[in-house]
Amino acid sequence: MPRDLSRLLEHPAIWRGRSAARTKTLPTGFAALDAGLPGGGWPHAGLIEILPTCFGAGELSLLLPALAAVTRRPEARWCAWVAPPLQPFAPALARHGVALERVLVVSLRPSAARQAAGRKGGFGRQVAQKSALWALEQTLRSGACDIAMGWLRSALPRQIRRLHLAAERGDTLGVLFRPPEAARDSSPAVLRVALEPANAGARVTLLKSRGGTRSAIELPFR
Amino acid sequence: MRHRRALELPLEAGAAPAPRQAPAPRARDGLHPIAGRAAATAPAELWLAVHLAASPSLPSQQDLERLGARAQRLTPRVSLDPPDSLLLEVKGSLHLFGGMEGLSREMTGECSRLGMSGTLAVAPTPLAALALARAARKLGVADSPISACGSRVVTDPAQLVGRLSPLPLAMLRWPQDTLDRLARIGVRTIGEALRLPRAGFARRFGTAQLQTLDRLVGRASDLRDRFEARARFHRRRELLYELESHAALQAVLAPLLEELGEFLRARQCGVLMLECRLRHRAVPPSRCVLRLAAPLADPAQIAALLTERLSALVLPEPVRACELRSGPLVSRVPGSGGLWQPGEQGGGAAAQAPELIERLRARLGVEAVQGLAVVEDHRPEAAWSVREPVITTAMTQNDLQNDPESPWPRDRRPLWLLPMPRQLNERDGLPRRRGALQLLGEAERVETGWWDGGEIARDYYIAADGRGARLWVFREREPPHRWFLHGVFG
Repeated sequence: MPRDLSRLLEHPAIWRGRSAARTKTLPTGFAALDAGLPGGGWPHAGLIEILPTCFGAGELSLLLPALAAVTRRPEARWCAWVAPPLQPFAPALARHGVALERVLVVSLRPSAARQAAGRKGGFGRQVAQKSALWALEQTLRSGACDIAMGWLRSALPRQIRRLHLAAERGDTLGVLFRPPEAARDSSPAVLRVALEPANAGARVTLLKSRGGTRSAIELPFR
Repeated sequence: MRHRRALELPLEAGAAPAPRQAPAPRARDGLHPIAGRAAATAPAELWLAVHLAASPSLPSQQDLERLGARAQRLTPRVSLDPPDSLLLEVKGSLHLFGGMEGLSREMTGECSRLGMSGTLAVAPTPLAALALARAARKLGVADSPISACGSRVVTDPAQLVGRLSPLPLAMLRWPQDTLDRLARIGVRTIGEALRLPRAGFARRFGTAQLQTLDRLVGRASDLRDRFEARARFHRRRELLYELESHAALQAVLAPLLEELGEFLRARQCGVLMLECRLRHRAVPPSRCVLRLAAPLADPAQIAALLTERLSALVLPEPVRACELRSGPLVSRVPGSGGLWQPGEQGGGAAAQAPELIERLRARLGVEAVQGLAVVEDHRPEAAWSVREPVITTAMTQNDLQNDPESPWPRDRRPLWLLPMPRQLNERDGLPRRRGALQLLGEAERVETGWWDGGEIARDYYIAADGRGARLWVFREREPPHRWFLHGVFG
């Protein structure tokens, strides 16, 4: 009887307090992080947030092993970069094992939104932000991507909720990079990770997770 | 057999005088067809040639296609022979249109309805029909009805050579040079040319001309491309009242798009280009052009893309009528629909990729959605490029580029590159960005590139800024030795 009960409790729809929810996950490539995350990896579908202390603190290195593993699977879908702040450098990505055939970059720079940004300042930025939100939602919802990463200046909780639902519908892992100030606001994302640079790596703290560890995790990047 | 053929030689010999210079043909290698084979049997095909008058000007390709589309009423096998002729295979249609006379009357009627005048001729092979029609036009008997001029109708293959023989060779439209050379040896008519020995003819005048002769008399088959009318979708809808809102416009366009979907489905075709015109009272119509990467036939998808486009359109005036025209149709193999929705278990993902790209591009522009590729170059700016996203349904492991043998260790290159190097402030010869930058490790020298004008001479360093982000900076080797930020490790 207790064995039947435990099998029943393994159902993914049942989530018990601190115990890890049994959902499909993607290994992060870092043993220490896998041990700390619920289910032993990044969630397979849904929206997560990464909040680095500054741009370039190592937030992309945190995802790289997962990106490389996912894009090299035979049944891989796209790995989309929506509104990246700079140009992703292809040789470095390839060197880290990311299959470039699977990379899709959606940049809003050449579009009319950006021109508007140059012309009217605040209004243009709003248009660019709207386009980025729209593109990210389409990408997540389409079901054509394994991972979709988005860089947003600001996002309201209801917008994040919408993105999360789109990601679940498309069976896609959505990754939102947000400024550290966003940690104060609540967010419907399933997982929120704060990241600060540390000696030869990064220190990762799970701000919100379903049954993950509370303590900071030191990760070596190099 | 040889004997029999030899016996039939005089049949043609009577039609044309024997050439003076050309050697007397032997039946074995003569050019004439095997007349014996074509005895009195009915021809397998009967071609009607329509030769259009070149006055006032040569008919355009468009005119030919219009006439071709009309001629398809008479027979399914219509082919165009640019610049001025049309060929119809009419064997099967004769009894439907009252014989040769009725059929030619119908065809002449179609020509005159388009304001053209055509000369008709009938023969068992396409080239023979063309030659007869051209000859009739030249002789000025063009406009007489076909029945009154029996010389333009050859229905018996056995008579074909005899009827063709007196025609001048110019009717075959060979190059003038070839005609001149043939005239120099005294060969001016088709009959005379048919008498020449095959081997010598091929050597002197080319195998192409020999093949023409073979096709002319039915010795070789003459395959013609079947003309297919270029179908396009074009519908216009007048509105009862003027519209201003985009939502109302979409409601008006919906039935047109539905019709487009049915039109495409019936033809198993898709469109690559679709134009929507919105007409106004005074100003010229607003145009909204949709260009697609892959042929599309699903009205719902087309509607979604068009909606994206229309929402970006600013209407100068209320709309009075809308019009939908497609570009050329592209044949398209409809795929199997998925049982599962994307995202459900087993939901096909790869099939969604083109749709996603179309949708993003419809709103953000074509260049906003790109794939990435590595370029073999040592200069960071030139070491990558954008490319069309690779759309494949399934990828095997072999398709993936294997880890390139890279000369540099993994963490020597940044994950982010600035579009242009950004100059850094400096103090005491050291770069600063949010405080002094701490240079880690030793310099990596990247030099030259004179071959395409992008010459550089830089010493690259990895630097840590005050907040712990790792940057990729370089110092120019030439004076004034400025410092630049070129990448972020991320």
